[in-house]
Amino acid sequence: MSKPAVAGRIVAAPPAASGPPLKVVPVRHWGRAIGAGIVLVTLAGAIKGVATNDNLEWGVVGDYLFDANVLRGLRLTLAMTGIGMVAGLVLAIVVGVMRTSASRIVSGAAAVWVFVFRGIPLVVLLIFVGNLGLFFDDLTLAIPLTGVELWSAPVSEVVTPFWASVTALALAGSGYMAEVVRAGLLSVGRGQHEAAMALGLPQVGTLRFIVLPQALRVIIPPLGNELIGMLKASAIVSVIAGGDLMTAVLGISGVTFRTIEMLIVGTLWYLAVIAVLSVGQYFLERKAAEK
Amino acid sequence: MITIRGVRKAYGSVEVLHGIDLDVARGENVCIIGPSGSGKSTLLRTLNHLEDISAGTIRVDGHLIGYEERAGRLHELRESAACQQRLQVGMVFQHFNLFPHMTALENVAFAPIKVKKEKPAQARAYATELLGRVGLAGKESSYPSKLSGGQQQRVAIARAMAMRPDVMLFDEPTSALDPELVGEVLAVMQDLARTGGITMVVVTHEIGFAREVADRVVFMDQGVIVEMGPPGQVLDDPQHDRTRSFLSAVLR
Ligand SMILES: Nc1ncnc2c1ncn2[C@@H]1O[C@H](COP(=O)(O)OP(=O)(O)O)[C@@H](O)[C@H]1O
Ligand SMILES: [Mg+2]
Repeated sequence: MSKPAVAGRIVAAPPAASGPPLKVVPVRHWGRAIGAGIVLVTLAGAIKGVATNDNLEWGVVGDYLFDANVLRGLRLTLAMTGIGMVAGLVLAIVVGVMRTSASRIVSGAAAVWVFVFRGIPLVVLLIFVGNLGLFFDDLTLAIPLTGVELWSAPVSEVVTPFWASVTALALAGSGYMAEVVRAGLLSVGRGQHEAAMALGLPQVGTLRFIVLPQALRVIIPPLGNELIGMLKASAIVSVIAGGDLMTAVLGISGVTFRTIEMLIVGTLWYLAVIAVLSVGQYFLERKAAEK
Repeated sequence: MITIRGVRKAYGSVEVLHGIDLDVARGENVCIIGPSGSGKSTLLRTLNHLEDISAGTIRVDGHLIGYEERAGRLHELRESAACQQRLQVGMVFQHFNLFPHMTALENVAFAPIKVKKEKPAQARAYATELLGRVGLAGKESSYPSKLSGGQQQRVAIARAMAMRPDVMLFDEPTSALDPELVGEVLAVMQDLARTGGITMVVVTHEIGFAREVADRVVFMDQGVIVEMGPPGQVLDDPQHDRTRSFLSAVLR
């Protein structure tokens, strides 16, 4: 064997092995074992307590889980969350971009928007929007200061409980999401803007092709949480009889007086949908972490 | 090609360029050296109006950069016109600033397609050719994060070249690189300078590169040009104390 040509560190030779190899014993984590034991016992007790409770009629839960009204409510919950999320995100992108504007008035308006819609409790917002008809007769789309009306309709026709719910969810969501969008936009460094500028790309193109695609990687993971939050928050629209899952299960319980059973029906559906969303979010986050 | 007259630049109340005059001929390679904070980057960035100026004029190929003269006043150009002017001036940054969500090829072909509205197939073909020229054949589909600093900077050079600019600006293109990667980037720049046609303004601390490649060396300090001339003169026989002390500091 020749000597290595490059002078290196001198490595001490390991002591010559003698006898059979020694058995490796990992350290025992007694604390973890005890903790796991406590968890299992508690869980078993809780399940037994709920499952065998004479006052809880599991048959009722089974009867109504796939009830037509419950399923219609579920569909409406999914629809209002879906539309509310998309509309909220579009608003949030507009407000988030405005927030980074060099104009104090534009960024100030966006800041006020965030303050207001993040600050108002969703119930209050919902009751306001749901009762818009009390304050205004017509909803009008017009060009300001010109008196030109593009579109007009009575509030009572447009603001159905469903659309009132969607609007409230979208507005509330936009307040939170605008901040997420802003953080995403700010995560894209100055150098990216300058490189795009130096290539002659206008600002709109820079936003669309350079900044937003990079910002999305920062924005998407928290949006998953926001979507789950909005799904849960949508239960509150039952206060204006929004027709959602919660409205449906409460409606049935008002007739059958099996309130807890019906709430369990609703809970199972919320958890089922959230489980699906969580899996989706897991894959989105993994994809976003690539590159 | 480039005519700079009496250019001043202030950030707020602090003036950082105190009246710069400089001419760069077509095809010439000018290296700007000088201590940190002397205004080299700022001057370079005014040449494609990434930075506005407080006084003076800059012309590239006869066109006033960033402004237009109307009724005896200089009016800053609208964004679309400023973008149009930037097409003839390419820029390479210290920190590469590649678009991380695009492959090397997409980085190079992006602006020709989106800004110059070239046909995608044609733009990609030219991008491939340019990547070959900077020694990155086979790296077309690599993302920047998978490339070394030297490779990233070469992609950035190809990206600027893809717009077929008349002028290329380099702002300390090798300052962010590990020492062993500096050579490959300088070699590409040297090749660019040799093949000719393109006018280059290079801010650099690589005195060896300036000596070998520059037609003229400009020494800046504290917002003014202290001296300029052929590399042999400025680098080997500087007339000013400030130049001498700077050179002795960088050459150690
Ligand atoms: N955006 C800015 N705002 C305020 N001062 C700046 C800005 N950019 C640069 N400066 C100042 O201008 C001077 C020149 O900077 P720069 O052109 O970057 O120098 P160099 O590239 O020669 O190191 C420095 O004093 C720096 O602090
Ligand atoms: Mg600099």
